[in-house]
Amino acid sequence: MTWSATARGAHQPDNTAFTQQRLPAWQPLLSASIALPLFFCAGLAFIGLGLGLFYSSNGIKELEYDYTGNPGTGNCSACALADRDRAPPLRCSCSWYFSLPELFPGPVYLYYELTNFYQNNRRYSVSRDDTQLSGLPSALRHPANECAPYQRRASGLPIAPCGAIANSLFNDSFSLWHQRQPGGPYVEVPLDRTGIAWWTDCHVKFRNPPLVNGSLALAFRGTAPPPNWPRPVYELSPDPNNTGFINQDFVVWMRTAALPTFRKLYARIRQGNYSTGLPRGAYLVNITYNYPVRAFGGHKLIVFSNISWMGGKNPFLGIAYLVVGSLCILMGFVMLVVYIRYQDQNDEDEDEE
Amino acid sequence: MDCSLVRTLVHRYCAGEENWVDSRTIYVGHREPPPGAEAYIPQRHPDNRIVSSKYTFWNFIPKNLFEQFRRIANFYFLIIFLVQLIIDTPTSPVTSGLPLFFVITVTAIKQTHYAVQDTKGFHTAEDIDGLHATIECEQPQPDLYKFVGRINVYNDRNDPVVRPLGSENLLLRGATLKNTEKIFGVAIYTGMETKMALNYQSKSQKRSAVEKSMNVFLIVYLCILISKALINTILKYVWQSEPFRDEPWYNQKTESERQRNLFLRAFTDFLAFMVLFNYIIPVSMYVTVEMQKFLGSYFITWDEEMFDEDTGEGPLVNTSDLNEELGQVEYIFTDKTGTLTENNMEFKECCIEGHVYVPHAVCNGQVLPGTSGIDMIDSSPGAGAREREELFFRALCLCHTIQVKDDDDVDGPRKSPDSGKSCVYISSSPDEVALVEGVQRLGFTYLRLKDNYMEILNRENDVERFELLEILSFDSVRRRMSVIVKSATGEIYLFCKGADSSIFPRVIEGKVDQIRARVERNAVEGLRTLCVAYKRLIPEEYEGVCALLQAAKVALQDRERKLAEAYEQVEKDLILLGATAVEDRLQEKAADTIEALQKAGIKVWVLTGDKMETAAATCYACKLFRRNTQLLELTTKKIEEQSLHDVLFELSKTVLRHSGSLTRDNFSGLSADMQDYGLIIDGAALSLIMKPREDGSCGNYRELFLEICRNCSAVLCCRMAPLQKAQIVKLIKLSKEHPITLAVGDGANDVSMILEAHVGIGVIGKEGRQAARNSDYAVPKFKHLKKMLLVHGHFYYIRISELVQYFFYKNVCFIFPQFLYQFFCGFSQQTLYDTAYLTLYNISFTSLPILLYSLMEQHVSIDTLRRDPSLYRDIAKNALLRWRVFIYWTFLGVFDALVFFFGAYFMFENTTVTSNGQIFGNWTFGTLVFTVMVFTVTLKLALDTHYWTWINHFVIWGSLLFYVVFSLLWGGIIWPFLNYQRMYYVFIQMLSSGPAWLLIILLITVSLLPDVLKKVLSRQLWPSATERVQSTCVRGQDCLPELTLLAYPQSPSPWAVWPGPHTKQGTLMWSPLAGLLHSHRHPGPAPHGGPTGGQATSPSL
Repeated sequence: MTWSATARGAHQPDNTAFTQQRLPAWQPLLSASIALPLFFCAGLAFIGLGLGLFYSSNGIKELEYDYTGNPGTGNCSACALADRDRAPPLRCSCSWYFSLPELFPGPVYLYYELTNFYQNNRRYSVSRDDTQLSGLPSALRHPANECAPYQRRASGLPIAPCGAIANSLFNDSFSLWHQRQPGGPYVEVPLDRTGIAWWTDCHVKFRNPPLVNGSLALAFRGTAPPPNWPRPVYELSPDPNNTGFINQDFVVWMRTAALPTFRKLYARIRQGNYSTGLPRGAYLVNITYNYPVRAFGGHKLIVFSNISWMGGKNPFLGIAYLVVGSLCILMGFVMLVVYIRYQDQNDEDEDEE
Repeated sequence: MDCSLVRTLVHRYCAGEENWVDSRTIYVGHREPPPGAEAYIPQRHPDNRIVSSKYTFWNFIPKNLFEQFRRIANFYFLIIFLVQLIIDTPTSPVTSGLPLFFVITVTAIKQTHYAVQDTKGFHTAEDIDGLHATIECEQPQPDLYKFVGRINVYNDRNDPVVRPLGSENLLLRGATLKNTEKIFGVAIYTGMETKMALNYQSKSQKRSAVEKSMNVFLIVYLCILISKALINTILKYVWQSEPFRDEPWYNQKTESERQRNLFLRAFTDFLAFMVLFNYIIPVSMYVTVEMQKFLGSYFITWDEEMFDEDTGEGPLVNTSDLNEELGQVEYIFTDKTGTLTENNMEFKECCIEGHVYVPHAVCNGQVLPGTSGIDMIDSSPGAGAREREELFFRALCLCHTIQVKDDDDVDGPRKSPDSGKSCVYISSSPDEVALVEGVQRLGFTYLRLKDNYMEILNRENDVERFELLEILSFDSVRRRMSVIVKSATGEIYLFCKGADSSIFPRVIEGKVDQIRARVERNAVEGLRTLCVAYKRLIPEEYEGVCALLQAAKVALQDRERKLAEAYEQVEKDLILLGATAVEDRLQEKAADTIEALQKAGIKVWVLTGDKMETAAATCYACKLFRRNTQLLELTTKKIEEQSLHDVLFELSKTVLRHSGSLTRDNFSGLSADMQDYGLIIDGAALSLIMKPREDGSCGNYRELFLEICRNCSAVLCCRMAPLQKAQIVKLIKLSKEHPITLAVGDGANDVSMILEAHVGIGVIGKEGRQAARNSDYAVPKFKHLKKMLLVHGHFYYIRISELVQYFFYKNVCFIFPQFLYQFFCGFSQQTLYDTAYLTLYNISFTSLPILLYSLMEQHVSIDTLRRDPSLYRDIAKNALLRWRVFIYWTFLGVFDALVFFFGAYFMFENTTVTSNGQIFGNWTFGTLVFTVMVFTVTLKLALDTHYWTWINHFVIWGSLLFYVVFSLLWGGIIWPFLNYQRMYYVFIQMLSSGPAWLLIILLITVSLLPDVLKKVLSRQLWPSATERVQSTCVRGQDCLPELTLLAYPQSPSPWAVWPGPHTKQGTLMWSPLAGLLHSHRHPGPAPHGGPTGGQATSPSL
């Protein structure tokens, strides 16, 4: 491409620092003498940080149980057999007995984990209608096309909430029972089912449609629940602040996971005697087994975990910091050797010249 | 001559049914010729409108779009955009549509810069009432300096008067009228047929080495892109072969999706993957490169040091496409006269019959006392000799094509002919002016040409009038010109001046030997020499000559050849009068510039039409040859002695034997003891080498010749025809190393070489703007070449190569995680990043830092580059875009991408990273990767930046800040126009997590670590010259340590001297013949402007 520089004719060019490329500038140079201390400092800092992270991660307790019910793995197998051919969920329950030899320090969080479940599949993850979920009445009855084939029921009724994500809402439920004394009765541990979703999600992003005559059910009139749901969306919870689109289980599920193996928060244990953690003793988790995963080769796990400032148990960050820190130190030494050996040589070269 | 009545507007000629005709006929005033003369053919010529611009107001948008989409890259992006519109793809069409729109708009804006010019020729309203004539002329052709035509003027009842029309009768489009109120003109070529219009289009597009590498890299990336998409498509179908993966119960397909044909589905998937990964070929790279070149070239025009105060001219940039090529030059081909020298001639001496006259000491024939120098070297001549002497001066006063102008508002070389009068001499050849001026100082003043009479003022202050009968104008083949004049006493003289080689063979009388000796001596000293001869014609002879010339002149076919033959017959049996010597000074700092360029590893070749001795003297003076340079001659003389074959083999043996034992770089310039060679070749020898041999082994001599040249630090080609200059450039350009060539020249005869070379540089000289106009860059002086190449070229090269590499790097970083993510999302083409991030990554988050880097970066300071030319070698041979470097950058990108992706992956695997136990989703995952990436690639650039002005600080930290602010904003609001709110609070939530911060810091560190390590180690272990200089500067030592080391032992006089026998001149001497060589270059003033003295200056484009 051609262009002609504006003919300045007889005009002398502007003499500014910019046009003459002589702007004052800082001219740093990444030489060994700068890099060496930098590497050592960074290395030491990283190792220190890594040790802290590593121990902090090690201090976190995690207890998990695979209740998929593959044959011979506890009493969930009976329920699992039924889901082999994707039968509609039948009310099957099973339980997991475990005992804690010592206090499981709180606050304790209860997660469920699914494997081999592709929430991040593109077709799946777009199959939702955020406008509908924001409670817009017009969108409620006109679900987006992305929701297909979960856009309308065969009867033509619009599905609310539409889409594959909503339709596949995780519907196992858990209750935790504690046997304080050996042989004693099991007491139900209160599970806090709120505060499990992002605050902004269930207060801003997800809204129920405006109530009709004070009733949420009427607001949803003219819509149908997703095909897999046994009950409509407004009956997800008896709590009026936790039902409909703002039901926290639902909101949690709607935040699609990044990887095919993922955990989602089910409940927090922070009430009554259990605010400091789960005391020692025998426990029982009662599982209502609804959700079929064996059809796609997946697993279901239930996980108890406590949490530090850095979240759940994850040794990766600590180890990574340790490794990188050590590498920095190692490189620092390599550079030091090179620096000492070749510095002399360079000086000699210069002297020669 | 009558024909001056009809000046013609030259216009180019339109194609059509006339094309096959050799000549066209124009009827002046559209009046039919008298019956019987010729058949009248009604005229149909194009309308006189020239659209020199590419676009008009109406067709701009469609035509510009079409032009742009013809570029393969833009077409590719258009296809991607269309695919996104048509099929169901993971990314919204906006992500590629917006950048494409941006690119197209910016390019279009850039093109409007020069698009809006639409010129109209002018119509002459005035009728030429009194004239009844037809003009026959050749069909339009682009050669500006050639025109053949004739005019038939019909008088009442008589046979038509036929007069020749040549290029001197032609006014080109855009010419301005001077010295006269009006002229009569006939338009012969109109509109798009004008020669000028034809010349507009004939420029070929040059592409730089960087651009070529860029295109190769693009192809590599295209292959990577396609293979990525293929791999993913195949894996997708392998993976999906299990039905529960293809369609698990939670993610069922619609009925139409199920029924779609498998192959169609696979193809759609392939396209979708292509779309997903298409960012690896960065659309924005083109716009950034364009902007970098466009804006960057302003630094040349702005450069104060390249501004010439004397002429008021600054450098010109005619194309911004080749900026970086200035940093890659390996061969410089330079013209001599006007390029290396000032083309400012000074009459030094003349030699009449063996007596030497030095004009500066002589005034009006009398020796001025007290002046230095010698008035006459020999004792006063006798009476007969005095007559000869006066004849010589008269010859010089008459034999030229100078015009005298009272006004001093003229272009071209000028000098006041007389301090008392305010008139100046104008000629296209500075030599002629110098000669006439010199003769003036010797007592004979040329006054003017009036009514075809030349008036001269002789020593006695009498006016002598000579009738000008004929001018046998100059051409470069004859290398001489003649005039035929009639003195007041009725004697007819033919005066001829020309190169010694073309005069001596035609001389039958005169002191040839003495004059020849003097001429040779002067040539050795670098003076431009001319010989002057005359002969007296008796009227009968003149009649014969006149008829001969007239016949040749009016010929429409083969006019040139016929004229040459006629001239040959007329200019013979001459009597030698004497010789002149004119000095052309070397340009200021020419020697310094050449020395610097050679130290920079550039081979400098001088191509000149001058004779060998003159040219060699120049080469010594400008340090192209040094004292220790061993000269190899490959000249006609030598070839006459031995066969070409033997000479070549002998030379190559000499050269190779030496270079074989040489370990150091052949002309590193650092050691004084090494032998370097200079080659001198002349035009005739060159054409022998270029000529294919009969036995078909044509390549042999060329290869041998190239081999010799390669081992010579300097080559001088003398006696070159203009076309040979281009030929030699082409020879080197196409030799097996494909070196980058640069041609620099100032005259029209350099245009072919300027167009041929990779980079053509015009010196805005005294010989008009032909070269400057056809060049890629134009500079006022040769010395500016040093800064142009060593500083600007170097900067442009490192800037753009970093730009190219960095763009590929950052897009590998960008896209490779997407590729990896496919393995974890069931090959479903899920994007890792949000649409806004996909769209804005290249056009706003990471665009400005690299653009500003590529405008501002100075890895070493301007002064260091100028003082240490050898740094130029560090970037020779496209060093920063070699495969090794490219692969390094690509692998760095892949490594960084792996770090980003798997860092985030292990972080997200099976755990929560918040202190409230809540879980992040896939958009947080992508945002985390993206954040690390934006920071890493920006900081990588920061690591590469050596020159941090406030602007760099502003854009680097500013664009990081912009990313953060944008992300906060993008995630902070429910955007009503979006039908998804997937980014809502994602960024803020991510920042609320401590481990995310720690991870970001860790991953950025890990990504930058290898590059830092590589930089430090390579600087320490294998420092390049540039890195050494950088370190020296940082250590606070003198930044210019090698100044003295690199300098050659200076010769005591300011000018190096030709080591011949007569060498004690302290000043620089310049070369012969250029005056004659130059006079054919100009379209400019007609030599005999007619009674009105009307004249035209060369048109300006």
